[in-house]
This record gives sequence, C-alpha cells and structure tokens, in this order.
Amino acid sequence: MAEIKNEAAFRQALDGLALADQRKAGALFVRAVLPLIEDERVAGAVEVAAKGGSDEALAAAFQGARRASIDWHTRCGAEGDWKEQAAYFVARAAAACVAPPGHVKSGNPAWQAAVNARMARTSVAIDEDGTAVRENEAQYRLLGEFLKA
Amino acid sequence: MTDRAKIAINAFKEQIDGAVSAYLSSCVHCGLCAHACLFFNETGDPRYTPIHKLEPLRRVWWSEYTLFGKLALLVGLAPKVTEELLAEWQELTYNACSLCGRCSMVCPVGNDIAGMIRKQREGMVAAGYSPDGLKGASTRAVKIGSPMGVTWKAVAAQIGHVENDTGLQIPVDKDGADYLVLMSSMEIMNYPEYLEAIARIFSEAGVSWTLSSQAFEATNSGIQIGSSDIARELVSRIVAAAEKLGVKTVISPECGHAYTALRWDGPNLIGRPYKFKARHILEVLDELRAAGKLKTEGFEEERMTFHDPCQLVRRGGVLEQPRRLVKMVVKDFVDMPEAGKMNWCCGAGGGVSAIEEAGELKLTAFNAKKRQLEAVKPDKLITACANCRIQLEEGLEENNMDIPVIGLTELLAEHLVETGKAEG
Amino acid sequence: MTTVAFLDFVRGPLFQIAVAIFFAGLFIRFVEILVLGRKTDFSEPRQSGTGAGFKTVFSRSVPEAGTFKRSAFTIIAGYVFHIGLFVALVFLAPHIALVRDTTGLSWPNLPTPVVDFATVAAIGALVAILVNRMRDKVLRFLTGFEDYVAWTATFLPLLTGYMAFHHLLLRYELMLALHILSVELLLVVFPFTKLMHTFTLFLSRWYTGSAFGRKGVQS
Repeated sequence: MAEIKNEAAFRQALDGLALADQRKAGALFVRAVLPLIEDERVAGAVEVAAKGGSDEALAAAFQGARRASIDWHTRCGAEGDWKEQAAYFVARAAAACVAPPGHVKSGNPAWQAAVNARMARTSVAIDEDGTAVRENEAQYRLLGEFLKA
Repeated sequence: MTDRAKIAINAFKEQIDGAVSAYLSSCVHCGLCAHACLFFNETGDPRYTPIHKLEPLRRVWWSEYTLFGKLALLVGLAPKVTEELLAEWQELTYNACSLCGRCSMVCPVGNDIAGMIRKQREGMVAAGYSPDGLKGASTRAVKIGSPMGVTWKAVAAQIGHVENDTGLQIPVDKDGADYLVLMSSMEIMNYPEYLEAIARIFSEAGVSWTLSSQAFEATNSGIQIGSSDIARELVSRIVAAAEKLGVKTVISPECGHAYTALRWDGPNLIGRPYKFKARHILEVLDELRAAGKLKTEGFEEERMTFHDPCQLVRRGGVLEQPRRLVKMVVKDFVDMPEAGKMNWCCGAGGGVSAIEEAGELKLTAFNAKKRQLEAVKPDKLITACANCRIQLEEGLEENNMDIPVIGLTELLAEHLVETGKAEG
Repeated sequence: MTTVAFLDFVRGPLFQIAVAIFFAGLFIRFVEILVLGRKTDFSEPRQSGTGAGFKTVFSRSVPEAGTFKRSAFTIIAGYVFHIGLFVALVFLAPHIALVRDTTGLSWPNLPTPVVDFATVAAIGALVAILVNRMRDKVLRFLTGFEDYVAWTATFLPLLTGYMAFHHLLLRYELMLALHILSVELLLVVFPFTKLMHTFTLFLSRWYTGSAFGRKGVQS
C-alpha cells in the first residue's frame, strides 16, 4: 500500500476502514498524545478502542471519556491554561474512539480522534510558545503502519 | 458614610433614569417575578426573588429621586445603603442572576427587572463588590484581549488547523471584506469546530469575510461584571477594527451576551451609531438560507430539540431564525415546553459560569432545563451559545442524562453541500 | 361635634384638602419620573418601539400561560379585586352623581345588585389576598409596613362604602362620614405608596414594551 502523504489520502484511507478498525486507528492517534493527560478514564477508553470491546464496554468507556472531557474543559471566563486544555482535547479524542454510532461528528471515530489529537498537540505548542509540531505527519505514518499490518 | 458605600451610591444614581423610576414606583410586591426566576424556583429561597435583588438600587432611588423619600431620609426614616448591605447583596446581584430576563417578561406592571439588575451591577463593581472570577476575567479581557487569556497566537494555531483540515484559506485582516467574524474565547478553547464550520459554509456561499488580528474576541466581560467603562473599552476595539477594515457587517458568534454587547449595548457605550451592521451568526446564516446560498443535504435521523439562549432570543430578538435553520436538517424536531422567548435559562449566563462560588447553585438551576428535557425526551439537544453548551453538557452529565449537545452552526456544516472541495 | 356637622366637615373642607394632596402628590411623583427621562438608544432597531410599547401597555394585563399556572391565585384574586373595585367606583349611582355635580360629566350606572356583587367580590378578594400575603413564602418575605398601609387604605373605603350604602351597623350619616374619611385616607397615602402603580404602570409597561419592541420582542 502506498504511503499516506496528504490529508485527502489520509481521510480516504480512514473512511475506507470498517468501524472496528476506525476505532483501532483512532486509538493509535490518541495513544500518541496520551502523555498529555493523566486520567484513567481516558487511558481506559483508548484500551477498549484498541482491543475492540463489546458494546457495553464501549458505552462505559464512552461515558468515562466524555465525563473526563467535561472535567478538563476550561470554565467560561476562567484563566485558560493551554497545557490543561490539551488534556481536554485528548479526552475528546478518546471519547470519539469509543463513541456509539450517532454520537460522532462526521461519522468517523478515527477522523475525530485525529483532529482532536492534533488540537491537543497544538495546545501544548501554544502554551510553550513554540511552533506546532505537525501531528499530521505523525498520524499519516501511524495510519500507514496500521494499514500494512 | 464610608467611601465604598458612597461610590456605590453615586454609581447607582447615574443609572437611575425615568424608566427605573417608573419601575420602582410601580412594584406592588405581587411576587410573580419570583415564580419566573430560575434561581428561586429551583431553590425555593425567597431571597432570590428578582425584585428583592434590587434593594440597594431601590433605596437610592427612593431617598435621592423622590421628594417623599428625601424627606424620609432627613427624618431618618429611609433605609440606607451601607457596606454591609452591599456585601450581602453581592451574591444576589451576581451569583443568583443570569440576567435571563424572564422576570421582565412576566411582571404585571411591566418592570424590566433584569435590566435594573444590570444597572445595579454598575454600583456594585464600582465599589468593589463583585466576584473574583469576573474581576479576573475583566482584567484579562482588558489586558490580554480575552477573558480567558486567549491570544492571537492561539487563534492563529486554530486557523492553521482549519486550513489544514479543510483546504480552505481563512482570511485575516482583509480590507473591505463584507463580514468581520468574531469569536468567543470559549469557542476558541473548547469548540474549535465553530471556525471550521464558518469557513466551510462561507466558502460555499461565496461570502466575503475576514477575521481581525486586532479584534477577534466577541465576549464582553464588562457587560457581565456590569462596568460600562470596561464594556466600552472592549467593544471599542471591535468598532475600531471593523471601521478600519471597512466591513459592512460584524458577526457575533454563538455566544449569548456577546450579541447583546455588540448589537444592543455597543452603540450606546460609544455614544453613537455604528458605521456597520451588527448581526448574530444565526441571522447571517438565515439570510444565506433565504438567498439560497446555504445548501444542505440530508436530515438528522434523531429526535432533536433546541435550547433558546436567553441573550439571543428573549433579550436579543433573534426569535425565528434558529428554528428555520434547524428545520433545514432536522425532520423530527420537537420543542420543549415553554420554548421560544419564554424558555428557561440554562443557569450559566450573565457571568454566573465565571463565578466559582456559584458552581453548586448553577447546577441546581439546571434542574429547570432537566424537567423540560424530560418532558420531550430528545435524542440530541441543539443550541447556539458556547456557554449554554458547556453548562448543558455538565448538567446532563451530572444528572446521568445521555443527550449529546451540538451547536447549530456546526450542525448545519455537517450537512453542508460542498462543491469541489479543495485538495487537503 | 354632632354627626351631621362631622359629615359636613368631612365631605367639605377635609375632602378638598385630601384631593389637593392627592393631585399634588400625583403631579410630583410623575414629574420625578419624567424629568429623569431616558437616554437615546443608538443601536439599530429591528422596528420602531412605539407600536410595541403601546401594545405592551395592554398585553401585560394578560398573563402568559406559564405564569398563570404558577401564580393562578395571585392573578385571579388580583383581577377580581381590581374589576370589583372599578365597578364599585365607576358604576355606583352616588359616585356618578358626585362626578356630575363637580364636572358635569355623567354616564349610566349599573343596577345595585351588580355593583353589590362586585363590591363583595372585591372585599372578599382583598381578604383572601391579605391572608395569602401573610402565608405565602415569597410574599411574607417581600411584605412590609407599606404593603399593609396600602391594603388597609384600599380595603376601608370598600367596606365602609358597602355598609353605608346598605345602612348597616351605624347610623347612615355616621357611616357615610366614615366612608368619606376612609376615602380621604386613601387619597392622602396614595402618592406616597405603591398605590401609585395605578398610574405609573402605564409608563413602566411602555418603557419596557418599547425597549423590547425595538429589539423585535413583543413583551
């Protein structure tokens, strides 16, 4: 399979996967940014997505990850901490991986996970004043390897 | 009299106009406002009766602006405004009022109680009796340009994401664009999908728009804390940027009070009409819909309902547009009881969500929304204000209700007909 | 002082003083409101507030559904009282005669049983309102001395009027004198209390209706 080099190919490849594989791919993207958050619920959700859990397991993981994203968001009017906000995006990414059908925007858990994982990385960059590490390329590589396997 | 009390009284006096005087003259203590108030209804605490929240303002009006009150003050029969009173009333003025305005709609003698509470905040903040959370937000807003400390750097990063994900160009500081798009810090931090939705919709509609690096923040902490000086400073930045760029319309995002600040309060804060129009994003989207420029495909399969943000609908006048837009993509739409201009506040507006001490009260207030949702049992909840959204998500989570919340602009973008999307 | 002399005094000089205080007080209260004015609104309106303002002056009298459900007693008792008071005041023959004697204006009266019914209903509603004010959690909290003064000043004329008209309890001249005295009390406290709402509510409804109306919200 050809390497994934751009957004269109990335998106296309993700759309071509079955739902269970989409979850697994999503889990890979989230794992890459998992160090940005310390939250068992989120780590747990990633595991369930990666291993392919039952519907009940997915639902439970989803509840936990969604709760985590609410816990980690910045309260309106509060002083924003972009490092903590990274955690919010990681939680959202994890929640997307285990979301029941209908609960994921654009219908593709892997894409949502990818987008949120990128935001997480950007958040850290905003906090550190550095230039954003383009998580995209890392994700292309991850997906390429996943497809080969 | 102490200095702080004097400062408050002077600020109150500046706020008392003919309307306030008519209102306070007409109140007959009927108590109807209490039953229209979210905070009273959900707690049963009579101190949260809306007209009662106005006691400091009322005392100043009586003893300074009525002959009989002045005479009563002379003979020591008029109650005074003291530091103790102000300290006690801080919670009633801020924590327990979201400026939702239901009280103003039901008062039989026609009093705009919520409007008066907004005025009372001017005195409270001038004398230093306002919540720390709002003080912090206002300071950050003035110094940094955002109540949450968001800088252009963060916005630029968001822009990078959107451009990458959609293949579209986000215009920045474009002279002569038709529309200047503003965002709220909440959206920039928590709901970055808003910018992407706008970009895609505007691209399809062929709309000429821009962001401004000088004025990207729509929210106005000055309005929430009740300081016209701060509010004026913040809105002036938008006005300056808009008039410099020569845009025709400034668009307020999915935020409640930002619309009120821009559309209704702004011109009065700067003392003159704008040289541009001020519109909410939903108004603009509805105009695009009517002109055939907003094309959507497909319908949501689930049962959905709409939460009317108070500052947008009841206090803002954007009454019809939300439902017209929702019905473009939702077949099974159901309105909750009392929907529309009498809808119940989410509980987090008017600065309440920025007040940490009000956390529990805010969650209790959510029970009104909970009952409305239980009556219609929707699968999803649509709204058009980022602050409402987070409060709804928290409240639903807290009450173990599995109802995803989605923003209307985002929902429309999900169904957008996109012709020839650029290579990403 | 004999009863008749008392009655003459009460319906003569004392009445004139009370009416003078009443009108002076009304004038002062109105000037106090209007002289403050309201700043020009520079925001771009959706429509002129004028029509909405007028509409609200009347439409506020109709409670919206949710409010009616939550506060049915207050609303119903309030209407029974206000309508009863209005009927007794405006459609009782002796009242119309008084106006005719002073201004020349007159209009048809309603039959005594109708006015009687309205008066008794108003009195009953007032009593119920007072009891509710003392029992309801919110009202108990809000109510103060002024509320009781206003209630009493409104109640006494209705009660004494009914009693005088039907020659109850005391000698007619005395009852009538007490009735007129109670009206004088009402006239004198009126401008100092919330009873001013009788007139100021037109202003307050107008201010709100027009402000909301220019935003496109009928309230």
